Amino acid sequence: MTTADDALLADLKRVLGDRVRADSAERALLRRDASVFDGGSAGPTCLCESTEEVQRVVRIALAHGRSVVPRGAGTGLAGGAIPLGAPVIISLSRMNRILEVDTDSRIAWVEPGVVNLDLTKHLTPLGYHFAPDPSSQQVCTIGGNVGNNSGGPHCLAYGVTNAHILAIEVVLADGEIVTLGGLDAEPSGYDLRGVFIGGEGMLGITTKVAVRITPNPPSVRTLLLSFDTPRDAAATVSAVIAAGIVPAAMEVMDQRITIAVENYVNVGYPRDAGAVLLAEVDGLPDGVDIDAQRISDIGRQHGATDVRQAASDEERMLLWKGRKTAFGAVAQIAPNYYLHDTVVPRSKLADTLEEVYRIADEHDLAVVNVFHAGDGNLHPLLLFNGQEPGIYDRVHAAGAKIVEASLAAGGVLSGEHGIGVEKQPYMHQMFSEDDLDHQERLRHAFDPACRSNPGKVIPVGHSCADIQSLRNVPEEVWG
Amino acid sequence: MDLGIDPDQLGTCVQCGLCLSSCPTYRVTGDETFSPRGRIALMRQVQLHDAPLTTEVTEAFDTCIQCLGCEPACPSVVPYGHFIESTRNALTEHRGSRRRAIALWPLTKPRLLRLGSSLLAVAQRLRLVPARLGLPNQLPLRRRPHRSSGTDVYLFTGCVMDAWQREVHFATQRVLEAAGFGVTPTGDAAGCCGALHTHAGLAAHGERLTQSIDAALDPAIPVIVNSAGCGAHLKQHSSHQIFDAQEFLAEHLDHLPDVTPLEVNVAVQDPCHLRHVQRAHLPTRTLLRKYVSAVTELDDDGLCCGAGGAYSVLQPDMSQQVRERKLASINRVQPEVVASANPGCSMHLSAAGVKTEHPMVLVDRALAANSSTT
Amino acid sequence: MSDFAKLVGAEGPVTVVGGRTRWHVGGEVRPDAREVHAPSGVVSYDPAEMTVTVRAGTTTTELTTTLNEASQRCALPERGGTVGGSVVIGENHPEVLGRGWLTSSVLQVTYISAEGKLIRGGGPTVKNVSGFDLPRLVVGSLGTLGLVEEVILRTNPIPPRSQWVESHDADPFAVASRVLRPSAVLWNGASTRVLLEGHAPDVAASLNSLTAIGAWSEVDGSFELPQHRWSLQPAELNGCSGTFVASIGVGTVWRDEPQPRPALSPSVIEISTRMKNNFDPTGRLNPGRSAF
Ligand SMILES: Cc1cc2nc3c(=O)[nH]c(=O)nc-3n(C[C@H](O)[C@H](O)[C@H](O)COP(=O)(O)OP(=O)(O)OC[C@H]3O[C@@H](n4cnc5c(N)ncnc54)[C@H](O)[C@@H]3O)c2cc1C
Ligand SMILES: Cc1cc2nc3c(=O)[nH]c(=O)nc-3n(C[C@H](O)[C@H](O)[C@H](O)COP(=O)(O)OP(=O)(O)OC[C@H]3O[C@@H](n4cnc5c(N)ncnc54)[C@H](O)[C@@H]3O)c2cc1C
Ligand code: SF4
Ligand code: SF4
Repeated sequence: MTTADDALLADLKRVLGDRVRADSAERALLRRDASVFDGGSAGPTCLCESTEEVQRVVRIALAHGRSVVPRGAGTGLAGGAIPLGAPVIISLSRMNRILEVDTDSRIAWVEPGVVNLDLTKHLTPLGYHFAPDPSSQQVCTIGGNVGNNSGGPHCLAYGVTNAHILAIEVVLADGEIVTLGGLDAEPSGYDLRGVFIGGEGMLGITTKVAVRITPNPPSVRTLLLSFDTPRDAAATVSAVIAAGIVPAAMEVMDQRITIAVENYVNVGYPRDAGAVLLAEVDGLPDGVDIDAQRISDIGRQHGATDVRQAASDEERMLLWKGRKTAFGAVAQIAPNYYLHDTVVPRSKLADTLEEVYRIADEHDLAVVNVFHAGDGNLHPLLLFNGQEPGIYDRVHAAGAKIVEASLAAGGVLSGEHGIGVEKQPYMHQMFSEDDLDHQERLRHAFDPACRSNPGKVIPVGHSCADIQSLRNVPEEVWG
Repeated sequence: MDLGIDPDQLGTCVQCGLCLSSCPTYRVTGDETFSPRGRIALMRQVQLHDAPLTTEVTEAFDTCIQCLGCEPACPSVVPYGHFIESTRNALTEHRGSRRRAIALWPLTKPRLLRLGSSLLAVAQRLRLVPARLGLPNQLPLRRRPHRSSGTDVYLFTGCVMDAWQREVHFATQRVLEAAGFGVTPTGDAAGCCGALHTHAGLAAHGERLTQSIDAALDPAIPVIVNSAGCGAHLKQHSSHQIFDAQEFLAEHLDHLPDVTPLEVNVAVQDPCHLRHVQRAHLPTRTLLRKYVSAVTELDDDGLCCGAGGAYSVLQPDMSQQVRERKLASINRVQPEVVASANPGCSMHLSAAGVKTEHPMVLVDRALAANSSTT
Repeated sequence: MSDFAKLVGAEGPVTVVGGRTRWHVGGEVRPDAREVHAPSGVVSYDPAEMTVTVRAGTTTTELTTTLNEASQRCALPERGGTVGGSVVIGENHPEVLGRGWLTSSVLQVTYISAEGKLIRGGGPTVKNVSGFDLPRLVVGSLGTLGLVEEVILRTNPIPPRSQWVESHDADPFAVASRVLRPSAVLWNGASTRVLLEGHAPDVAASLNSLTAIGAWSEVDGSFELPQHRWSLQPAELNGCSGTFVASIGVGTVWRDEPQPRPALSPSVIEISTRMKNNFDPTGRLNPGRSAF
């Protein structure tokens, strides 16, 4: 280790004491997040406990010419939290207090490290919840949700994270503390709050968030529809929307994943159906009964072989548990998976799905599909054994084709997982040089020197500041 | 260094992180190194990539409470329990196992343990024992002998618990008898189950102890265990029919007399070995609901209390931080008594001033109150 | 290059004229600015996708007619003005609780940059996190960062039943505890009007539960709204007095006089200034107006 780094560490320790870690074990772990990417190199990790600490750490990093990377729970799937160029990692996991809940105004102030599900559990006795419900909600943080503008099954009706954030306290890359947005109806000025959400940690570090809290609906109906083919399920989804119903959630699973899920939760997911549709409507009792009936009718018109309604809350919870742990259940089929995330117009769901199966076949990979069908948000999981030599090349090649097929169908690169390092190479396929240039201008307004989470989202080579930021540290220092 | 973990199994963790919130040490530190995902990644580094066993790496492994909260949370069903046991064994061999072996030796010598405990009891009364050790408030000076009432079931009496909390055994026996079962306490014939040895990385030793228990008991007779830790270990390692006491009695609820429930608000603290390993924490509620007026749930999803067998002694700092979380959770529901079916947990909690009882003691008390009134 | 891009060109001060219904917001445009009009017309509309692609110069009236034909609607206001103007002004519909926030409903924007280039941000699907959020930047930008040519908006089904009801004695702040999802709760100090929407039995049930806090009668529509919008916190609304209409639970208040522009923090001004300079280095877009 060079003296320069000793000096950096010493400065950080003065602020955080033993909440700075720079040992080889820690650095090895923080090189990664939940994505399959393994190319990061971590500098010291700072477990901050207050906005002021974050500010001081950012300033110290700046003084030492180092960039910073904010990290929540590290469940991101696009590599957003992966450190490039040995930056100082700012872990927000210890800033996990729920500061204030105001049910009259329906807001809660929380620190960024609050776990999504912990917030909802805290609100349950008060009759409220935090609407965005990513499948990772038991671990992912509000700061990470804001970072990735995360969605979840129930975002079909309720909207993704962006619709549920009122104000954000941010430590900018130069150490300034700023509050974006506000609790008033239509804060004046540019919508910097809205722009910051989904910024993947590149626009600054969230240190406090005012979230909207949503009253729990008095009545919920959950339907499980079975189909012979994913095409029938997809057609049903389109028809439901076309009929003017916006269910709280509409999720589709294909046969292989349904079997794996059923092995895990055992609630009666049909093993013989080609696909299942999990649809949920919520609201007042009469309306949900009407909508549940209409969805069931539309399903039957489109080939549903069976329609079942969850008889109890327990059954409902179990059905959802099955859906939400689907990614893990694939471990029964193969030890590793690569989860893709693209969106296509609903009318193209069935065609794109068939294309996905074809692409997987072509690359000799197993694939299962479980997705937010209501939003047209596909989640193909490519299954493989990571020990197999050369396998990652095939997986990435198939992934590239899936992205291509989605864009060709009029879709987008990512529905909720973000770009990070994963989709960075594909940005050119969706956007022109000029489009990307404007995204970069947006970012430079927040962080002119590219000090916050450099090297993500915008394709490398686009911004010289990034490259500088990444090259600043000789490889061997933290390697 | 080879940690002795099956490399294919080690590969099954997809680092999704879904286990993080269920891990007490990650919850209190927020540090990936003290998380299941982190520990598994380090095991990989050490076993597959020959990473050096630095202080930080061994600390990551040593601070694992082995509560196995991470196992049920993992949708990929990664067998973390095997990983950490194997890792501990390899580490113990690597460091030399004498110190821990010596520390655990008295557990296998019941009379000696009881003698030592009585000496401790005297010392306690002379106020020579610091409270933070978390021993029961008043260790018994003398113990009534066990007696047998039939051979329908064995009551496994074990080592420390028999010396320190024999009253719990008596209570359990009375409840079993009230349900119509003749009970044979195993006593010194079947001593320590070996759980603590196995956790401390002395698997072979633990295995030997379990075998000697199996040899001493009639395999046809079910063994009832009222210590969650011993029960978990025996369920995994013994060839006999092992039941947790509440689990067994909840199955025979109709055999138990209907009585007026005790007027007391009880919060259930789930010992990890009951909830995460045996996955038999619900029967405690079934049973208690019949015998106490209010059963309250803690709001922390069964997160570990930090006791972890010898953990509270070996890792006092982390153990206390984890306990703080549990205490906060207990404080939020304000129960009169916390029911815990594991001696380690109840000692750990009572050392922090929490009033704890074994669920069997509460049931026994309800039954006794009733028989004295009728 | 689009015709609009040619029209805007790469040099000289320029401003887009919409319906002039909010022409003075953000200050007076410099007189030397060349006035241009954005193209108009609905480009494509597929109700089953719940999205509509529409050119910025289209009137909101025309858009509304198109959507209504398919029993849908969107978050834009329905009274006067153009789609482009509404998007860059960024005001929400008075029934925002039922229709959704404008900023969440703009899925994709196509605009002409200060350099005269056609820029696209966002994407055509209802869900999208591909890169930095240019659509949200454009909403409320008063045409100071780019001149909007076309947008893709999210649409929503019109509920089977919509009913305004009015009470003279109900506490407007108690409505939220009685109705699960009111589409609007407006209060003018003397009476409260609530928009109930959904399936007919739900509307009836909500009305029924409202009777616990007052006497209600059905009315034809909302209050007449004063001209100027104030943006307050929902918790501040009970302090309203004078002539006003307040949107309870939202915080918007309509008054006869304009709201004094609230002071933004120096850091917000700094970011905003950089934003303006990065997007329009020569200051040619809508000169004289400022969004902050
Ligand atoms: C099994 C599984 C299921 C998932 N399901 C879903 C799903 O249904 N929907 C969905 O949208 N996502 C899903 N995800 C992805 C992921 O969980 C979400 O993106 C989540 O919001 C990330 O939160 P985190 O706390 O783990 O953030 P991290 O992974 O730590 O960070 C994510 C990004 O946000 C930035 N960031 C984190 N905290 C801050 C902060 N305080 N300030 C500024 N930037 C910050 C990081 O730099 C990074 O770019 C899933 C992931 C897994 C593993
Ligand atoms: C009686 C009445 C009631 C209203 N009620 C509501 C309401 O309840 N909710 C609501 O949200 N709005 C309401 N509005 C406002 C209105 O509908 C829109 O905000 C307004 O339509 C702005 O559009 P315009 O075409 O009139 O813009 P103009 O007034 O022509 O222009 C406003 C500004 O936007 C700029 N601009 C216009 N088009 C573009 C473009 N394509 N690209 C870049 N910049 C552009 C102009 O240069 C100017 O700076 C109401 C208006 C009226 C007259
Ligand atoms: S142990 Fe299981 S839950 Fe934890 S990271 Fe690995 S696969 Fe995910
Ligand atoms: S056993 Fe307990 S302490 Fe150890 S990693 Fe698992 S959850 Fe954490």
